[in-house]
Amino acid sequence: MKFAYYPGCSARSTCAELNVATHRVAAKLGLELVQLESATCTGARELRAIDPAAFYALNVRILALAEREGLPLMTICNTCTLNVLDAHAAFVSDRDLAASVNARLAEEGLQYSGRTKISHFLWVLHEDIGEQRLRRLVTNPLTGLSVAAFYGCHITRPPGRYGFVDSRNNTALETIARILGCLPIEYSGRTECCGFHTAAADEGVAIKLTGQHILAAKTGGAQTMVTPCPLCHTVLDGFQREIEDDLEQKLDMPVLHLPQLVGLALGLTPDELNIDRHMIPAEVVSAYAAGPS
Amino acid sequence: MASSASMPTTAARQGQTERADTLALRNARLAPGETVIVRIARAGGAGGATEQQEFKVPYQKWMRVLDALNWIAENAATDLAYRWYCGSKMCGTCAVRMNGREVLACWEAVEPEMTIEPLRNLPVVRDLVVDRSPYEKKVASFEPWLRRSETYPGFPEPLSHKQMKNASKALDCISCMCCYSACPVIRLGDFTDFAGPAPLVQLGQTALDPRNDQRRVAVALAQTGIFNCVSCYKCEEVCPAGIPIVSQVIEPLKAKAAVLVPAMAHHALALRAIVAARGRVDPGALVLRVQGLGALSRLRRILRLLVRGKISPLRTLLALKTAAAAPARRILGRVPP
Repeated sequence: MKFAYYPGCSARSTCAELNVATHRVAAKLGLELVQLESATCTGARELRAIDPAAFYALNVRILALAEREGLPLMTICNTCTLNVLDAHAAFVSDRDLAASVNARLAEEGLQYSGRTKISHFLWVLHEDIGEQRLRRLVTNPLTGLSVAAFYGCHITRPPGRYGFVDSRNNTALETIARILGCLPIEYSGRTECCGFHTAAADEGVAIKLTGQHILAAKTGGAQTMVTPCPLCHTVLDGFQREIEDDLEQKLDMPVLHLPQLVGLALGLTPDELNIDRHMIPAEVVSAYAAGPS
Repeated sequence: MASSASMPTTAARQGQTERADTLALRNARLAPGETVIVRIARAGGAGGATEQQEFKVPYQKWMRVLDALNWIAENAATDLAYRWYCGSKMCGTCAVRMNGREVLACWEAVEPEMTIEPLRNLPVVRDLVVDRSPYEKKVASFEPWLRRSETYPGFPEPLSHKQMKNASKALDCISCMCCYSACPVIRLGDFTDFAGPAPLVQLGQTALDPRNDQRRVAVALAQTGIFNCVSCYKCEEVCPAGIPIVSQVIEPLKAKAAVLVPAMAHHALALRAIVAARGRVDPGALVLRVQGLGALSRLRRILRLLVRGKISPLRTLLALKTAAAAPARRILGRVPP
C-alpha cells in the first residue's frame, strides 16, 4: 500500500517525533509513504477565515500533488485533514472555484481533477490495514495499559463532514487501543476541544480547557493519553506544566501520538519512536515496550 | 468533474461506527407501554440546590422528550418548570440537555433512560427554565438591524443569492441557545470576552448582509471577541436548525473583522505572513510575532522546549525557507488578505 504522505507543519517542527514515529510504524505496517516535500501549510484555522481564496489554493495544491503521484493522501493531523476535506468538497461543488484554483496551479504545471482520496492515519488503520491484519501484526501487546483516547475536534466534527449525530459516539481510537492490548477508559474529555487554535495569541483558553480533560483522564485511571492530532498533543503535553500551575496540582500525564502507541505494540522501541522527546516523561508507557530480543 | 463519493460523508466509512443511537433506532427501541426512566435536575433557582428527581413515564409511539415532560407535569410533578410554545422546532424555547447533549425537547425522541438538565452557561430560573437575558442583552448591544450606507435602490434590490449565502444561513436561527450551552469557551465565563455562537449568529444576519453600513459592522465586531472561538464545532453539532455556525457565520465574520478591525486579527494575519514567507508555520516565529518579546518571559517553558528539541531558535531567527516556500509565495504573495 502506497500513500502520498502529508505530515503538516507541526510534525516537521514542535512534534517532529510524530513524523519519525509515523515513518517507522508505516514500515512495520507495510505502508510505503511518499512524502510531499513541497506541500505548504494548509493554513490552520486562520487562513480559511481571513483569506478563503488562498486557503482553497493551498489545499487543492496538496491534493493535486497527491493526484500527480496517483496516490491516496495520508495525513496525521486533525486540522490538516479537515482543511483538505473541506477544500476538496468546495472544489467538487463549485465550478467557478475549481476553475480559478486550477488556473493558479497551472503556473507550476499542476492540475486537480477531484480524484484524490483523503485519509488520516487513524482511518488508514481501520480501512487499509484492517482490524484483523493489525491484530496479527501486534507482536508486543500492551496488555493492561490503561489509555485515555483524546480525539480532538476536527476528526469527528463538523457533523456535516463526518456524519455523527453525537461525536462522542466515535470509537475509532478505542477500537485500535483494544487491538493493541490496551484498556481504554471512559472519561468526559474524549471528544472535547484542546483550545489549540487560540493558543498562539493567548494560551489561557487552552490551559483552562485542557486542564479539565487531563484531570478527567487521570481521575478515570488512565496511565497515558493518546491522540491522533499533533496540535492536541502540543497542548496536552507541551502546556501540561502550565496547566499544572493553573490547577495547582501535579498531573504528570504522558501523552502519546497514535503512531507511537501503535509502534510500541508492533515491537518498536521507545527510542525508535522518539518517546523521550515529550515534555512529560513517558517511562510508565515505555515499560510496556518489548524487551531486547 | 469528479463526484465527492470517495469522501467520508458517513461515520461508517472510517470504521467509526455509531453506538446505535440514531433517531430511527431510538424510536424502534421502545414499544408502547414500556417504561421510560426520566431523571430531571430540579432547582429552585438563584443559588438554590439542585436535586435529581426520577420519574417513570409510560412510552407512547413516537414519544418526544417534550411528551415525556408534559406527562410528568400532568401526572407526577405539577410544579415542574419547563418552557415550550410551538412544539414544532420553530420557537426555540424548549431546548434542554438530554444525556449530556443539547436538544429541542419538541424534536428529540426519548431514550429509555434520560437525564434532563437545563441548558448550561445561562442562569437557571427554576428546574429546566433558564434566564435568557445575558444573550438578549449581548445581541441588543450589537444593534442588529440593517442601516444602509447607500440610498435604497428600489424594489427589487440587486442582491444575488451568492451575496446573501452566509447571512441567509444565519437567518435560519431560532435562538434556542443550544449552541450557547455547548460552547466550551462560553463555559469559561468572564475568562474571555467571547460573545458566543448564538449572539454571533444573530450578528451575522445583518453583518453579513452586503447592504449594511460597514462602519456599524466594525463597531459591533469590535465587541465580539470573535477570535476567541476555538473552532471546535460543538455549536454546529447541536444546532437544530443545521446552521454551519463555524464555517458560514463565524469564519465570514472573522474575515470581515480582518478587514474592518485588523488589530483583532493580528494572530491570523501573522500566521498568513509566516506561511507566505516560509511555506510552513514555524511555531517559534508565530509566537514571537504575535506575542512580541513578551513571549520570552516564559523562560522556563522555553528552556524545557529547547532541552527536548521542540523549538529551533536558529531556524526561527534565520527564517530558514522550506521546499514549500516558493509555492506558498506564489499563492499567498499575490492574494490580498
